[in-house]
Amino acid sequence: MRAVLALALKDVRLLLRDRPSAFFTFAFPLAIALFFGYVFGGTTAAPMRVVVACEDRSAASERFLRAVADDPSLDPVAVADRAAGEREVRAGRAAALVVVPDGFGSAADAAMRGATARLEAVVDPSRRAEGAMLVGKLHEIAFDAVFASLPEPRWRPVEVSLAEVATGPGAGGFGISFMQGVAWALFGAVTAFASGFAEERERGTLVRLVTSPMRPWQMLLGKGLACAGTCMATQWLLLGTGAAFFGVSVARPAEALAATAANAFAFTGVMMVLAAAFRTQGAAHGAGRAILLVLTMIGGGTVPLVFMPPFLQAASDTSPFKWAVLAVEGATWRAWPMAELWLPLTVLCGIGVAGFAAGAFLLRRTVLAR
Amino acid sequence: MIRVSDIRRSFGALRALDGATFEARPGEVLGLLGPNGAGKSTLIAVCTGQLVPDAGTVDIMGLGSPLRPEVRRIIGIAPQQIALHDDLTARENLVFLGRIHGVREPVRRADELLARVGLLPRARDRVKSFSGGMQRRLNLAAALVHDPQAVFLDEPTAGVDPQSRTAILDAVRDLAEHGRTVVYTTHYMEEAERICSRIAVIDHGRVLAAGTAAELAAAHAPGAAGAPGTLESAFLALTGRSLRD
Repeated sequence: MRAVLALALKDVRLLLRDRPSAFFTFAFPLAIALFFGYVFGGTTAAPMRVVVACEDRSAASERFLRAVADDPSLDPVAVADRAAGEREVRAGRAAALVVVPDGFGSAADAAMRGATARLEAVVDPSRRAEGAMLVGKLHEIAFDAVFASLPEPRWRPVEVSLAEVATGPGAGGFGISFMQGVAWALFGAVTAFASGFAEERERGTLVRLVTSPMRPWQMLLGKGLACAGTCMATQWLLLGTGAAFFGVSVARPAEALAATAANAFAFTGVMMVLAAAFRTQGAAHGAGRAILLVLTMIGGGTVPLVFMPPFLQAASDTSPFKWAVLAVEGATWRAWPMAELWLPLTVLCGIGVAGFAAGAFLLRRTVLAR
Repeated sequence: MIRVSDIRRSFGALRALDGATFEARPGEVLGLLGPNGAGKSTLIAVCTGQLVPDAGTVDIMGLGSPLRPEVRRIIGIAPQQIALHDDLTARENLVFLGRIHGVREPVRRADELLARVGLLPRARDRVKSFSGGMQRRLNLAAALVHDPQAVFLDEPTAGVDPQSRTAILDAVRDLAEHGRTVVYTTHYMEEAERICSRIAVIDHGRVLAAGTAAELAAAHAPGAAGAPGTLESAFLALTGRSLRD
């Protein structure tokens, strides 16, 4: 066991001294978590910047403009006309243009007699989802502006109440993004150890192991221990940083420990397969990284699964990264009980067993072949 | 005693070893001389348990095959390629190897070896900062960290300066004087004559002749008027003058 530990510690030491590998294993996932945390509105939900061109001069349109300015979800800027507003949207300086057309006021005044007050919105094509939200928001604000003469509380034909599904604490933007960071942490660790194994083969240092009294299973155990330990360390570095500074909740440490351990086991198996598949460090770095990158993206490492089309969401089941993220989410902000957590944990353990078996088989036939 | 009997090993259609046989006794440096592709490195790989022979036997110090982990405990190897971790220091490399071989005091043993190969002042420097000669000396020290009884050195002086070569040859001679069995491959005739007790000339996977340098010269390259020739002329007489690539 002393030899196994010595091998594992040596591999970890080599990882820490290889700056690019250490960066991609420990720092890059943190950077990804912070970046997406702010993108998802980690601490501040920025109001939507819109430009407003008002072609109507009426009390109703003035009420409407005041209400738009007062709404906390919108950041309106007045523009001279429709053309100026479209230029702003095309330049990406605003998400949408809102036009209050001539006749809005007179239609609003006649609303009780069946007239329809019209508004127009022109949205940036890359922000269609926000456009849909804007339409709803404009309906709400315009309704108040048109029916301002009605006594309070004002009658509404439909009232929508919005609440978030009950989850554990820490379900904000960082809660989501730090779990995405876990995928990148595992990506970094697996790539580093797979290419480290290939380097050991290429540089001839593997000869020292093969000619030592260590048995093949001890070598694989040492290599696996180093990879699994690093996977655990980088996941907990993320969770710890998230919990200490960004409101990520690890309120159920036993479940979180089970999830991170299952991830470490699964991805050590993935590392074994990659180490066996690629004979040179260049191949492990290039092709190995490319394969993992695709799996990470399919698994929701960059774009969350909910934004993917249905066929990609179905394809994501084949990515170990999906199950890794699901497991840590389930153990943290999704607050899944063990009964629900068992599925991702079982899948991850299955990936680990399959990876270990396939990797050990291939390594014994190639790297450790005598 | 290292006993190698009728070793055969092929890689697909290529027959790398074709009945190689030799013996090396304790306190002896046995030189394996052969042209490129003769099978020297493959023979070392078989003798150290890196490769399983297709046929034949290897017995290390009466304990049996090097495929057994307990036999590998008494084998040391300095591969032709520098087999060290660049990002570890000289001491860390040796301590790591000491630990995987079960050495009791790996740090003390590492420092002892570093002193022996003249690298103790650079013990805390990373190997990537070393010159070629320093790396070769450390490569040799790495083979000796567990004080092996049987030592296999595969061209340990390739590409080093005269000072490092002298230090390596002194260390090899010292091993033999302390009763270790050393198998030493080289291309340098002068080096083989200097330190090898006996020399085995190998080509096409077979040992063609074995004996002291003088015996080989006398038997295979008689000079003018019956005077003994040189080891090099014996080597060329045995292996031919055609180029090997």
